[in-house]
Amino acid sequence: MGRLIHSFRGYVRIRVWGYSPERFLNLCGNKGILLWGIENHGESYEMYVSIKGFFCLRPIVKKTKTRVAVLNRYGLPFFVPKIKKRSVFAAGLLGCLIFLQIMSQFIWTIDFTGNITLTDDVLLDFLETRQIVCGMAKKDLKPEELERDIRKNFDLVTWTSARIEGTKLVIQIKENTHPNPDEYETGDMGGMDLTADKKGRIVNMITRSGVPRVKIGDDVEEGQLLVSGAVPVYNEDATVKEYLLCRADADIYLQCDCRYQQKIPIHYLTKNYTGREKKIPYLRVGSREWKLPVSEPDYLKKDCVVKEKQAALLQNLFLPIAVGNCQYREYVIEERNHSKEQAKELCGEFLDEILEGFRQKGVQIIRKDVTIKKDSVNYILTADFTVVEKTGTLVVTQTEQPLPAKEQEMTAEE
Amino acid sequence: MGKRRNQTGTEPSKRELVVNSLKLPKDLLLGASIVTLTGNREAWIENYKGIIEYSEQGILIQGKTCQICIQGNSLSIDYYTNEDMKISGNISCVRYESFEGGSNG
Repeated sequence: MGRLIHSFRGYVRIRVWGYSPERFLNLCGNKGILLWGIENHGESYEMYVSIKGFFCLRPIVKKTKTRVAVLNRYGLPFFVPKIKKRSVFAAGLLGCLIFLQIMSQFIWTIDFTGNITLTDDVLLDFLETRQIVCGMAKKDLKPEELERDIRKNFDLVTWTSARIEGTKLVIQIKENTHPNPDEYETGDMGGMDLTADKKGRIVNMITRSGVPRVKIGDDVEEGQLLVSGAVPVYNEDATVKEYLLCRADADIYLQCDCRYQQKIPIHYLTKNYTGREKKIPYLRVGSREWKLPVSEPDYLKKDCVVKEKQAALLQNLFLPIAVGNCQYREYVIEERNHSKEQAKELCGEFLDEILEGFRQKGVQIIRKDVTIKKDSVNYILTADFTVVEKTGTLVVTQTEQPLPAKEQEMTAEE
Repeated sequence: MGKRRNQTGTEPSKRELVVNSLKLPKDLLLGASIVTLTGNREAWIENYKGIIEYSEQGILIQGKTCQICIQGNSLSIDYYTNEDMKISGNISCVRYESFEGGSNG
């Protein structure tokens, strides 16, 4: 802070030499002249003194029989006359500052964090429908409204935050990865049954609510009712008076067989890069783009890798200017064959993916049988597993309420 | 932290006894200099009259009751006012020299 004040008021670096420089320092102290950065250079001393202090030095210099020489001048009072001589530079500097000030009133980049299922493109398309795009004025953006809109339009989003950092709009999103069971449709009367996801044998079962319709050791088919959400209330004569509907809740573990197959073609087409490459730099301002040279290389087949860097001042002040380069690479399409080792390796990767999926779902593997066969066109990986996994899908209960006793009699008469 | 010393190094004077018993600030009433050291790189000195000698190897300061000699190398004065000063460099020794010619470190 002190340095800033000194710079604003202006200061000089002086050299003092002569009969008694130490006395010079003491007298400066007594007169209230601040000296700083004092260094001894043998016979002479160098130090900084403010402009105001410098003009008070004459009597001290006379008294102490020393001599003073100005070595350098610093600060605004010396900078302004210099800048007056360079009016174009000053105008440029001023223009630059005005340009930055104007540019900082707009949003130049939009950043999303926390989105997994919702891709950036989906969110950008949504923002576009709300007229929130790169280049819009910051004052037109209402973060609270935007947050509300995102939550309203995407059921998956449980929490969102929109804030502006410099010229960047940062949208943080939290997606619901574990759907709330209360959000399931519970039908008119609120009854939900649990049914089997797939065919298998029940190895473990704990029912928390509902009436279990199967027991451990039972073989079940896909879609079979496991736990009913209709709890019967019996009359004295053991007939059902009514059903109390609830949402069935149980941990049911099913042992089942599953098969995965993957075909890896023996012959496949691949890009073989010839090594001929050409980088074309470009400058992009807003949506306009200038390439140098303008024409693309005349390769028969080519692809392009684009690397772009957006100009930003400090950390968050993004500007609508970007530089980058397009790297064109020539390639020819070649037909190749997968060797046995390569096929094995690819199968291994596929298998790892399946096992990782099991691990994430908490599936326990009882038996694993993997074979790789080769026919005329493919390597065929067949993986048979016997696994124990949690099952149970909630469906609206189909159980109907029994008719009242009178109506029952009437229907019997008919 | 501040380091205050009785300049004579002998029995405390009556004035000092009074200042001690009334818990009055010694730097104001006895004119004791305050030397604050931070490691061996920085020293702040308050309550002095002026500089007697200054070189890169040593700075001799005239206190109100004694002289303070700071020795070391690459010594420089960061700022100097009538009230206080800051010395930086490699400080190897701080010595107090009383008017009588005796010294204690």
